[in-house]
Amino acid sequence: MGVVDPRPLLAPLISFACAGLVFAAGRNAFWRRFWSLSAAAVKLALVLSMLPGTLRGVVYTFDVVAFTPGIGIAFRADAYGMFFALVSSTLWTLTTIYAIGYMRGEPDRSRFFGFFALCVSTTVGVAFAENLLTFFLFYETLTICTYPLVVHAETPEALRAGRVYLTYTLIGGGFVLLGSVMAFDAAGTLTLAQPGILPADAGGATLATIFAALIVGFGVKAAIMPLHGWLPLAMVAPTPVSALLHAVAVVKVGAFGVTRVIYNVFGVELLQDLGFATPLAWLAAFTILAGSAIALTQDHLKRRLAYSTISQLSYIVLGAALLTPFAATAAILHVAHQAFAKITMFFVVGAIQRTTGKTRVSELAGIGARMPWSMAAFTIAALSFVGVPLFAGFVTKWYLSLGALQAGAGVFVGVMLVSSLLNAAYWFPIVHLAYFRRADGGDEGVHEAPPLLLVPILICAAYVLLLGLTTQVPGMPFSVAQVAVERAFAVPAVVP
Amino acid sequence: MSVAWEQLLPWAVALPFVGAALTPVLAARSPRWTGPWAWGVVLATVAVTVGLVAHVAEAGAFTYAIGGWSGAYGIELRFDRFAAWVLPLSLLFAVIVPFSWRYVVVSLEPARWGAFYALLLLVMGGMIGFSITGDLFNLFVFMEVTSLSSYALVAVGGRGVAAWAALKYLFLGAVASLLALLGTALLFVLTGSLNLADVAARLGPDVARGPVLIAFAALVTSFLVKAAVFPLHVWLPDAHAIAPSPVSAVLSGLVVKTGIVGLVRVVQLFHAADAVPLAGFHLALAWLGAVSIVMGAFLAIFQDDLKLMLAYSTISNVGYIVLGFGLAAPYAAVGASVHVVNHALIKTTLFLAAGALIHQTGFRTLSDLRGVARAMPQTAAVMAIGAVSIVGLPPTAGFLCKWYIALGAFEADRAPFGFALVFGALFIFVYYIRMVNALYFQAPVHARVAEATEVPWSMRAPLLLLAASCLVLGLLGGAPLAFVEPAVAGVLPVGGP
Repeated sequence: MGVVDPRPLLAPLISFACAGLVFAAGRNAFWRRFWSLSAAAVKLALVLSMLPGTLRGVVYTFDVVAFTPGIGIAFRADAYGMFFALVSSTLWTLTTIYAIGYMRGEPDRSRFFGFFALCVSTTVGVAFAENLLTFFLFYETLTICTYPLVVHAETPEALRAGRVYLTYTLIGGGFVLLGSVMAFDAAGTLTLAQPGILPADAGGATLATIFAALIVGFGVKAAIMPLHGWLPLAMVAPTPVSALLHAVAVVKVGAFGVTRVIYNVFGVELLQDLGFATPLAWLAAFTILAGSAIALTQDHLKRRLAYSTISQLSYIVLGAALLTPFAATAAILHVAHQAFAKITMFFVVGAIQRTTGKTRVSELAGIGARMPWSMAAFTIAALSFVGVPLFAGFVTKWYLSLGALQAGAGVFVGVMLVSSLLNAAYWFPIVHLAYFRRADGGDEGVHEAPPLLLVPILICAAYVLLLGLTTQVPGMPFSVAQVAVERAFAVPAVVP
Repeated sequence: MSVAWEQLLPWAVALPFVGAALTPVLAARSPRWTGPWAWGVVLATVAVTVGLVAHVAEAGAFTYAIGGWSGAYGIELRFDRFAAWVLPLSLLFAVIVPFSWRYVVVSLEPARWGAFYALLLLVMGGMIGFSITGDLFNLFVFMEVTSLSSYALVAVGGRGVAAWAALKYLFLGAVASLLALLGTALLFVLTGSLNLADVAARLGPDVARGPVLIAFAALVTSFLVKAAVFPLHVWLPDAHAIAPSPVSAVLSGLVVKTGIVGLVRVVQLFHAADAVPLAGFHLALAWLGAVSIVMGAFLAIFQDDLKLMLAYSTISNVGYIVLGFGLAAPYAAVGASVHVVNHALIKTTLFLAAGALIHQTGFRTLSDLRGVARAMPQTAAVMAIGAVSIVGLPPTAGFLCKWYIALGAFEADRAPFGFALVFGALFIFVYYIRMVNALYFQAPVHARVAEATEVPWSMRAPLLLLAASCLVLGLLGGAPLAFVEPAVAGVLPVGGP
């Protein structure tokens, strides 16, 4: 049921206006904070106001401009888009609070917060994109807007990371454009509102090229191996940027793109006939294991987090590529699960860096006694990644395994198990170090992060628990994901 | 409506020419007023062209016979949808002229002010005349008016290098003009007419094929030189980089497009006549365009001089336009036609912003201009928007055209050109990202750069307006595309690719 409503347009527009106001505020810290926080709050309220409708099955649409029939800028808030928009606007609010605390005293803060707002604007634009063109438009704008954030420190290292980042993402963008043009040529439309637009008779080679171009294009940001090279380098950015952009916005936009390609450009039926998704599933499985294996070897905290991100993102890709309702549920849910757990970890790592100056795993002995609240949050996130029941990550793994069995590919259940073990192998040592070892130098007692950093950390950790516990509660993210899956498969996605 | 809109047509040419002729008279009395005077003339021309475009949108192509002598005997002006680019052209002049005020006052002695504005008006009049003439010989005449005033404008800075660049420009321009004259003369001998429509009608199958091909080749080569398509581009970089920045904007954004308009006119002329194998010609154009895109981008990467870099990027962008026409697919031709205008806008934005940076700091290379964004945030932002537009990233003016051209490549089943186009754009981004990096993310090396102030409002307002237009044309880019669409059938080979 479609309803014309300006809210899908207003949501990205608010952050856009916020960016303008932040730039205009210049060095005035009060107005910069005021605009950043109020825009985040208004946006969250706006997205939330659409939630009841979404749960009833209402789809809000808004056409901005059509260049020619079939090519235009249009917005559409379907269940999956809503899910993604909810995650990113919730996290934007929390990250803004965190960033205000974290960036205190850094140079060029108006540039930082301005582009920060622009990034969220484009992320929600991607979530609500009605067609591939609108999607591409925001996808590329996101690339441009994250660049100043990545090179924020302006050190040679940051500039180099920025260069690598742009090289990867722009080439990826080129592939997306290529795939979009070819898809339009084949289908005559670019809408994402249907379960598949490409005609089966377009020719195997053409369809294969489109699939490869779009998956490679989005796969760069989703960091599917071997397209992941930019992500560990981009960790040079300030921690709030790494947190929001490299755990949520940028990488999730890539993963979101992959799922849109599978469910809305090709469609499940066409892909089942063509069989293109199988190699993608294997690639995702490889990335899950290889990413975790590399994470094991990293001593630098943010780099370990980066490789863990690479591994976790491929859960989403794998879930989408399995082409079954349960796996799709897992893919959609993991957008939120990974986001909240990973952002908790990033926040904690940033807080540790700010309060103690420590950036390496090996330096963390005894940190649990110094920063008990932060480390408790970190532990919750770690348990979620390992997939312990009651935590969000378990729900993903459960549904992903069910989905793999539905698809008759039990081997991926094995992948899940091995991945859980690997996750335990690289998260638990940190927890162990933090709680069961004593710091080398004398103990200085409790020295927690300042409230502006600690409060967002605790809220995010609470969300991780909430997401794991409330799968049966109506109105929670899980039910939104179910609505989204029902749209794509036309079958209910609940355990029979 | 009862107003005879055709009557406006001669005014579009006459206004700038008369305005140019009167400028020295005014300059003799009070040189200060030549700038506002030129602006007034440009604005009047804008008003006329608005009327013309409104009429062509409503009633289709129309003609005006000067002095009532129609057809083969008299001089005919003709206004079609391709000629409608004179509106954006004169609008851009309406921005460039006020931008030049400060520049002229600072860099030229008062005795030259009048000449500067008179030449600008002559270039504009020449281009408008070139675009709306229906007569082959006048095509040549207006081309010469444009070119000769351009040579003078390049040299107006007055230093030795400028003269040398102008001379190189003059030599190659002269060769191109002679070729155009040769083609025109041949067609006149063969058909006994100079009127474009008339020549097309008389080029029947009984006309000797060899001379027609030579005439065709001569005209096409001439216009390709004017458009600076690789490898006929050698005159362009120095001339465009050395000239004063407002002049660079005119030359790079607008004057090279006379080559494109000329090309369109030639193709229109030979479109119906079966005398020339147009399909093969289009394929050759597509290759030339693709090579231009890549080579222009490749050469630009090595430039440290900001304006030289922009000049090479013009070669790339002309390549996009030529490729678009060469693909012989409706989508691509529409995209190429609109890119003529969009590139003019974007390149004007970039050259004027570069001019503003150079004007305020006195430096012109990227390595000297490092970190200037802190001191001149607005100008740098304009530069960055221009850079994003010219790469063709959405949602800017450059995007839709390239989308259409790429779509045309697949429509015509020439996927390799589509690949080349998409990844050519990435190549172009490499050197623009260097520019943005230098302006924004590197520490200043010169005190003068760190302490520079923003440009005065007479320069800043045009810049901000141009940057806003780059964004607006990206979001509302559908209108020009729809406007030009009915006309492109006239430049495609008959019977499809």
